[in-house]
Amino acid sequence: MPAVAKQQQQQPPAQTPPAQPQPPAQAAPPQFPAATTARWPAPADRAHIGKSIKRLDGPDKATGRAKYTYDIIRPGMLYARLLDSPHPSARVRSIDLSAAEKLPGVRAAIALKGPDNPATSKVMYQGEEVAAVAAISEEVAQDAIRLIKVDYEVLPHLATVEQSMRPEAPLVFEKGNTREPTLQQDGDLEAGFKAAAHIVEGLYSTQVQTHTSLETHGGICEWNGENLTAWVSTQAVHATREGTARALNIPQTNVRVITDYMGGGFGSKLGGDVQVVICARLAKLANAPVKLLLDRKEEHLVTGNRPSAFAKIRAAVDANGKLLAIDAETWGTGGAGQGSNFPVPYQVYVFSSRRQRHKDVYINAGPQRAFRAPGHPQSCFVTEIVMDELADRLRLDPLELRLRNLPPEAENAQWERYFKMGAEQIGWSKRHPTGDSVTGPIKRGMGCAANRWGGSGTNRSRAACQIHPDGGVVMQVGTQDIGTGTRTLVAIVTAETMGLPIESVRAAIGDTNYPWAPGSGGSVTAPSVTSIVRVAGDAALQQLFAKVAPALKVADPSTLVARDGRVHVASDPKTGMTWKEACKLIGTDPIDAPATWQTGLSATGTSGVQFADVEVDIETGVTRVKRIVCVQDCGMIVDKLTAESQCYGGIIMGLGFALFENRILDRNTAQMVNPNMEWYLVPGMSDIPQIDVTLVDQPTRGVIGLGEPPVISTAAAVGNAVANAIGARVRTLPLTPAAVLSALERERAGGTL
Amino acid sequence: MPSKRKDEPGFSRRTFLKTVGAGGVAVGVIVPADVAEAQGTARALGPGPVPVQLNVNGRAHKLEVEPRVTLLDALRTRLDITGVKRVCDRGACGACTMMMDGKTIYSCSTLAIEAQGKTIRTVESLTQGTVLHPVQQAFCDRDGLMCGFCTPGFVMATVALLEQNPKPTAEQARKALDGNICRCGTYVRVLEAALNTSARGPRAALEGSAEGAAARERAGVGPREQGKDARRG
Repeated sequence: MPAVAKQQQQQPPAQTPPAQPQPPAQAAPPQFPAATTARWPAPADRAHIGKSIKRLDGPDKATGRAKYTYDIIRPGMLYARLLDSPHPSARVRSIDLSAAEKLPGVRAAIALKGPDNPATSKVMYQGEEVAAVAAISEEVAQDAIRLIKVDYEVLPHLATVEQSMRPEAPLVFEKGNTREPTLQQDGDLEAGFKAAAHIVEGLYSTQVQTHTSLETHGGICEWNGENLTAWVSTQAVHATREGTARALNIPQTNVRVITDYMGGGFGSKLGGDVQVVICARLAKLANAPVKLLLDRKEEHLVTGNRPSAFAKIRAAVDANGKLLAIDAETWGTGGAGQGSNFPVPYQVYVFSSRRQRHKDVYINAGPQRAFRAPGHPQSCFVTEIVMDELADRLRLDPLELRLRNLPPEAENAQWERYFKMGAEQIGWSKRHPTGDSVTGPIKRGMGCAANRWGGSGTNRSRAACQIHPDGGVVMQVGTQDIGTGTRTLVAIVTAETMGLPIESVRAAIGDTNYPWAPGSGGSVTAPSVTSIVRVAGDAALQQLFAKVAPALKVADPSTLVARDGRVHVASDPKTGMTWKEACKLIGTDPIDAPATWQTGLSATGTSGVQFADVEVDIETGVTRVKRIVCVQDCGMIVDKLTAESQCYGGIIMGLGFALFENRILDRNTAQMVNPNMEWYLVPGMSDIPQIDVTLVDQPTRGVIGLGEPPVISTAAAVGNAVANAIGARVRTLPLTPAAVLSALERERAGGTL
Repeated sequence: MPSKRKDEPGFSRRTFLKTVGAGGVAVGVIVPADVAEAQGTARALGPGPVPVQLNVNGRAHKLEVEPRVTLLDALRTRLDITGVKRVCDRGACGACTMMMDGKTIYSCSTLAIEAQGKTIRTVESLTQGTVLHPVQQAFCDRDGLMCGFCTPGFVMATVALLEQNPKPTAEQARKALDGNICRCGTYVRVLEAALNTSARGPRAALEGSAEGAAARERAGVGPREQGKDARRG
């Protein structure tokens, strides 16, 4: 996924431990000539930034007034349904739409696969789209789907990585069932193992997790001649326009994408989705607006997932607790034809040498997509569990082992400080050595883990700010609010810049008619959008000052400021005029200031740590997380309230990854056995422990995204806490009762530690 | 939770689907006993559209839908009442939570025809003009919402809880809200909102409503002690 690649480039190179591979250097951002140089106000002068500000669209969401794509009804709108392949691997010999087309109420039916074109004759996973129908109601569309006759030639399939990796496996994927391994190596591995006081070896794994966005993928397409308007549940309006136009072979300028509200994406909605393209084709054929949104089962099957991860590890440490070497053979599956890479070790701790050989394994399941911190939770789990195992061998406090192997402290490398803060909060000094010796079945334990992220701004971001003669301010930026609070951030920064209350500015987002902004992935949105909004607001304000200066008999407009609803000379608040009076001087045409990127308003590189306190019942294997302590930074905080919510949300999603979530495929049929919400378990209210979030503000740094970092460390911290509680090591996720009991069984039989 | 009627005897969508089977395009439906009784005769309904009368948020709506259409879909696609959402479509996530005769239901798992003669309340009933219901206000104040897709369902579940139990403990509130799923992870602040609404006591709207009074009577909760109104936020 593009977002992944982008993110990897944004890792802060200065903080990368020297023994590990340097990410490819990012090209120097082009410097645009700027009329002004925008800066953030000094921390003491900030009216809104950094405070806890309620999200602007809260009332619309809480009352049900907010219209999501799912809620929009266009005049004369038809409803579409898809026919999905029931087979994980098959060739479509023929599709007969005639009975469906004849059903009263059906307005359009199209085949999406067929024997004529080799590129579209095969299905590679259960749920892949085969045909589509648009009808006057969803019920009629569903009936029509049942009338479509498809003749499949069922082909061999691969349901698990083990099946794909077997030498005798049938060749299901044309270029091979696995990809040639990639090799990354740094430092003298052999010397590292030779000097080792202790070596830990083990196989570690994490499961496939689906995004489970509550609003499913899809949209509404409406043609007006050759122009297409699409309301889409997407986290990237501009990328959706590009992708949809490309797939339909029409000019991008003919496509407008609108996303006013959307019900979650988590990385799965970053581009022109096939559902929208199908919807547009049906709308064209039927000559009417068409709504196509997936059902829950389709959402699980086809809209992406976090790839599984397997890691066979050998790691060495010397007698002083210095990490010497880590040798990893890794593999995983991102489904049909997709990658599954994750770095080992996780790039927080410094190993003197390392080697990783990674192999992508393909199976007949829906392809992976970027999922909140792609690669990181897997990488963090594997590495942090190994860290605790090494500490146990050394009979050293695992926190101490971590502190001895961190890179030098820097703005974007604060782990030492945060580890100490978190340890203090959770009461780490009371942690017992591995294996709770208390009598009775309930064992208590603690664990910890670190995380890092890039999250810098995108220099292609654009925005435009209008100030109207009646005092109204509109900030247009083609971003979208996926629930993180982007709309509110736009308003906060605009209001801060104009010296106005937040309610008196309008944030215009979620529409490709507004200037380009990046997709909401890689935690780039907050830094990109707040930066460009500040620049646009500042440019518009300078134009206003130029009109106001003569009226105030001020020679130099740059001595003016806008504060507390007034425009005045900076040194003399008593002079000047109200904002409304100032705007009257604009004349008839509103000020309209476009903005191009300026560096320095955003920054790169976050640090964070999490601690977990758990209870495990060794008779039932049930793990209850009692408490999570999170210490996290994200540069300059814009809205403390919504930033905290990101941390809560990430931790809760991390708890799902730790304990419950698991896409299960039947090993014989490759059918997903839990494509619903009663067996694909995401955390619910009673699963939530006490969560203590400490957000560390760095008010003199730029803005950094926070969507991803908090999800990374939770599972690793919980995994370490479980081992600390029960005295047996669970090296797989999720930490189900069965996994816990089997680890205890292995421990009794000879040891997991 | 105020019971979700999952175990209530009678006509459920699940049993209906079971009866109809996979190919059940043109199968009639036997009217639920109470509806049939009201109409004085037992007869098959469907498979085509049948007249359905629904009492939603104090207004009577007459519409024609096939018997297989759920209450949720009837409201969303025929009446444009779209506050609550369809997410799991099988009674597992609570995004479709409405109240029927004062009890919360999964409206994705309730047929429109079985909702006839009942009093249905959706999230749209809570707001008076631009004044938010105290529960809605608490969700906004505490940031008990992110993408917001689950929020109307959570709001309904919280309102139902507080109408029956104005002072829930954290444990009671958790249990009452366990039927709702949020993927963004707002639970911590949803719980704060639920407890905060009751702690602050701004429940005149709840207590003033006929539904609220009836619910409290059913739940055996007496009138609130004097003096609490002084703390209305």
